[in-house]
Amino acid sequence: MSLLELKNISKIYGELKALDKVNIHVDKGEWVAIMGPSGSGKSTMMNIIGCMDKPSRGEVLLDGVDIAKESSRKLTDIRRDKIGLVFQQFHMVNYLTAVENVMVAQYYHSMPDEKEALEALARVGLKERAHHLPSQLSGGEQQRVCVARALINHPELILADEPTGNLDETNENIVLDLFAQLHKEGTTLIVVTHDPEVADAAQRTIVLEHGRVAREVINENFGK
Amino acid sequence: MTKRRMFLRMITASLLRRRSRMLVALLSIGIGATILSGLVTIYYDVPRQMGAQFRNYGANMIFVSADGTSLDAEKTAEALSLIPKEKILGATPYRYTSAQMVRNQLSFVAAGTDFEQVQATSPYFMVDGAYPSASRQVLLGKEVAKTIGAKLNSMVEISWKPSVTEASGDTELKPGAYLAGSAEGFNSALVYVTLKLGDDLSIAEMTVNADSQTAEFGGRCAEESFTKQFIGKLIPLTAGTDVDAMTGATVTSQAVVDAVNKARPTENAQAATGNSLSLQVTGILDTGGDEEQYIFLSLSDMEALTGEQDRFDVMELSVSASAEELEEYVSQITDKSGSVSARLVKRVTRSEAAVLTKLQSLVFLVTAVVLLLTMICVSTTMMAVVTERRKEIGLRKALGASDSSIRLEFLGEGIFLGALGGLLGSVLGFGFAQVVSVNVFGSSIQFQPLLLPLTVAVSMLIAALSCMLPIKRAVQIDPALVLKGE
Repeated sequence: MSLLELKNISKIYGELKALDKVNIHVDKGEWVAIMGPSGSGKSTMMNIIGCMDKPSRGEVLLDGVDIAKESSRKLTDIRRDKIGLVFQQFHMVNYLTAVENVMVAQYYHSMPDEKEALEALARVGLKERAHHLPSQLSGGEQQRVCVARALINHPELILADEPTGNLDETNENIVLDLFAQLHKEGTTLIVVTHDPEVADAAQRTIVLEHGRVAREVINENFGK
Repeated sequence: MTKRRMFLRMITASLLRRRSRMLVALLSIGIGATILSGLVTIYYDVPRQMGAQFRNYGANMIFVSADGTSLDAEKTAEALSLIPKEKILGATPYRYTSAQMVRNQLSFVAAGTDFEQVQATSPYFMVDGAYPSASRQVLLGKEVAKTIGAKLNSMVEISWKPSVTEASGDTELKPGAYLAGSAEGFNSALVYVTLKLGDDLSIAEMTVNADSQTAEFGGRCAEESFTKQFIGKLIPLTAGTDVDAMTGATVTSQAVVDAVNKARPTENAQAATGNSLSLQVTGILDTGGDEEQYIFLSLSDMEALTGEQDRFDVMELSVSASAEELEEYVSQITDKSGSVSARLVKRVTRSEAAVLTKLQSLVFLVTAVVLLLTMICVSTTMMAVVTERRKEIGLRKALGASDSSIRLEFLGEGIFLGALGGLLGSVLGFGFAQVVSVNVFGSSIQFQPLLLPLTVAVSMLIAALSCMLPIKRAVQIDPALVLKGE
């Protein structure tokens, strides 16, 4: 059953076609990597899937709703309720502690719950660092806080943008292990990356080139 | 944890953990609030302060009798009670009469008054020596002292004579009544007589004051050998028939007879006979005004001299109140007190009101400008804060913050800063006002408790208004900027 379906979407900036009639579908519980060189339209697609931008043409069905037709206010609601975001540059609120950063996501979503936030941090192995400020955490730790934050509201979809781009190998593996766990629990994952190793961890890789889907590769070794 | 608590936790964390930037905003609000609270304190204190200064220029209200006679002490006290006690800095009664220096027969205006009150209502009086503090002491006007050649601590003797016009009451003669009269004698100088009537309305006792006549001629008309002729006779008398003229003093003798015939009933023996007092000069008064021609003595000495009690001609008041309040008191006294008429000394009250209005509008203008500058400063700082926190705002939006959430958070921070700055400003502002007051007016001011919530509220409002533009900018930030490292 598909969670996300991009039907013939295009994004046009003046003369430039950032996306050109792209068709993608992602099933519930699937782990998909999106790859492509710079300028291939990855970011544009990411913005559209993340409900932060709308396509010029085409339909985007997220859980059966065409988000291309929704108002930006409604898009905020959808993003909040259905999507967990993980960014390359971690992006934490720098004056809030790790647990408070997780609670910010709860705050906008529903109700802050410190106990639950601490549990999420424990899950990413940061129970001891919960009351540290971002400046007191390493890059890997910050990214794990971001993963904890992304999953705190039990989103349908976790959208990760170069989640390991700024991490060393050890931390990269920790994050990928966390993704694998989430996948096992049934969370749908879309990871945008240009790192083949990260892409290889996914079930399926979609390769974008010049705003079009160049090819799709099924990872035969997934889960092995 | 509730949403509200998380909201407060985020706001306080933002302010407490990002100290340097917030300190700038806090400081500008704090300074604005300081000026606001300081100037408002001064604004409300200026009338009091300036009023006190103006009171140095003398009385601003006077009481006179409504019917042109003299003021009754009891009625005056009633009128006085219509003005709040704490507003009255001084209330000085004056009883004027004409008195003579015994030594050289020169006449002066004598004023009976309360010296303690004089110092409150006429602080500009300059006294060489001291104000009288005991009975039988006198304060001489500079001109009087010069004319009679009196020195400090010397003794002067003043006399008071009832004049015919002063002898009041009905003209019907009663047994035991005192009569007083005067008539022109030699050289048109006055001769005074005082009489006491017997039961049959004939003259029982008689004294003549012929001090103004030539001693060896007319002056002898005061002698008993002359006055005894009058005893037992009924008024009117005829010279030559009822009374024989004194040899060599025909004019004076005729004057005494005329004075007896013109005599009118008077209140008491003293009023009839006149009196004199010996007084010690304790001070000489220099005012540059008419007061230099007066003799000032205490009310009790004045009563001893004239025998009249509890009556004044004028009461001067120094009231610490605004022009409107003064008008209000005047109309109240006019309404409620029939016999006392209150008037404002317009020269003083008008200039006071004019200066106050100008000062207050100046303070108001400065406050408005300072608040505007504060707003600009806070707005600029908050704008910088928004720019600095673009990514954080983008992140919050990406995490699902609605525009109104972002607005609320920045407004919350701004208002919190405003409250803090307002508190800070209230304290500093009072200090500021105190320093200004002590240095400019030479007196300290009271803390106005109401000013604290006012300052805090205005600071919060100013901070909130200052945040409007920065918030608009914050809301426009695109959440997509958090994707892909910038």
